[in-house]
Amino acid sequence: MMAIMESSVTSGLEEGPTADLAVASLALARRFAAGATMWCVAPQWPSHARHVAVEFVHPVIVGKRALPAVSVDAEDAVAVVRLAARPGDILLAVSTADDASASHLLARAGAWGLTSLWLGAGSRATGSPANHVVWLEGVDPALTSRSGDMVLMYHLLWELTHVVFEHPGLLEAEPECTEEVCVTCSDEGRVAEVTAVHTDGRVEVLVGGQRETVDVSLVDPVEPGDLLLVHAGVAITSLGDVVS
Amino acid sequence: MSAEPTGFLYPFIEAEERDAAALVADLALSAQSKMAESRDLRAATLERCRADIDAAAAAMTARFLQGGRLFAFGNGGNATDAEGTVDLFRHPPHGHPLPALSLVDNQAVLTALSNDVGFELVFSRQIIAHGKAGDIAVGFSTSGDSVNMLRAFDEAARRDLLTIGLCGYDGAAMAVSDAVHHCLVVRSESVHRIQEAQDALMLELWSTVQRHLARSDTS
Repeated sequence: MMAIMESSVTSGLEEGPTADLAVASLALARRFAAGATMWCVAPQWPSHARHVAVEFVHPVIVGKRALPAVSVDAEDAVAVVRLAARPGDILLAVSTADDASASHLLARAGAWGLTSLWLGAGSRATGSPANHVVWLEGVDPALTSRSGDMVLMYHLLWELTHVVFEHPGLLEAEPECTEEVCVTCSDEGRVAEVTAVHTDGRVEVLVGGQRETVDVSLVDPVEPGDLLLVHAGVAITSLGDVVS
Repeated sequence: MSAEPTGFLYPFIEAEERDAAALVADLALSAQSKMAESRDLRAATLERCRADIDAAAAAMTARFLQGGRLFAFGNGGNATDAEGTVDLFRHPPHGHPLPALSLVDNQAVLTALSNDVGFELVFSRQIIAHGKAGDIAVGFSTSGDSVNMLRAFDEAARRDLLTIGLCGYDGAAMAVSDAVHHCLVVRSESVHRIQEAQDALMLELWSTVQRHLARSDTS
């Protein structure tokens, strides 16, 4: 979705991880400039999540601003990020495409109003729920994780994000959405997470970080934590099986 | 496009700048050039350190075969390299799992030592507690100058641990310390490129150890 929305800034770029890093860095800098915290999780390689956090919080170059980045243990990442993240924050997952807890978290990011970035290696994820995907393809992910390439990816992410800060005129500009298929402002369904089921049948959800009440008669029964696809106040599909 | 790939680091600061496409194109170009630089440095470092890697890996293999354990440590991003190293040895993608412990993973120990005896002793005190003759100490220090790393290597060498240091720049104090038996230096001035090449060196050490162990399986 984001790739389509930002097509105006990607035209002419050579495809690959460096172009994806460039686009992601612009988005990250804009979110950070607006006050975002970045939540980092790496279920298979927790040291990468901690490395990303220290990179942003304690920059290697003196004078670069400290940016709020937090590493979260994968075991309770859904509970922690749901509680502590604010709409507009960033979720960064570092994992392989088949990692269930990363997919689980990324699938909910939109409902919580987070901008998500998936950094991975090996076979590329298909149908990724993340706004931005930076992938090292055609490699053994376990070896790439330790070869210096994975660290290189987030070193570059950090560096490019700070380069964007040198361009204040571009920090406030949000990408204009003119594409017909943009999910955010078209009439397609949006991912929502059930937060409360009331006795009178009303169901509250989080969608894009906002609380809404939706009609779930098409997908009943639902329970808190379920993911739904919501269209014009009506839940049209349950995504529970897709992401669990 | 300017011929100098870092030219955009000194932009004409323009609050009215609105052309994100030009910036993104520059960012992508810069990322591509840094990626090439990183991979070149890693290849060159592995080639230059080949003899040291082989010697260190042979010594590590001998210790592992005798029941030695590996302790890994470092500060900041290097602490996460130490954690990643421990994970690689314990849960290898192939080959033999090997006993490895991180000296940076217990916040109670780290804060108790830092608060009570000082941060410069945060690793050496753990070496005193855990290290036995025949074990292996692996330390990452980008600068090669961190006092707590040097103290830990001194303590480890005194206790007959095999000591392996990975560092950057010209290796600084670690490169000339008798307490660091094998010092692998990444000749770069960039903290980021050094850390990436340290990872490559460690992966090569691990993979060489695994090759030795595979040979000893069949002999």
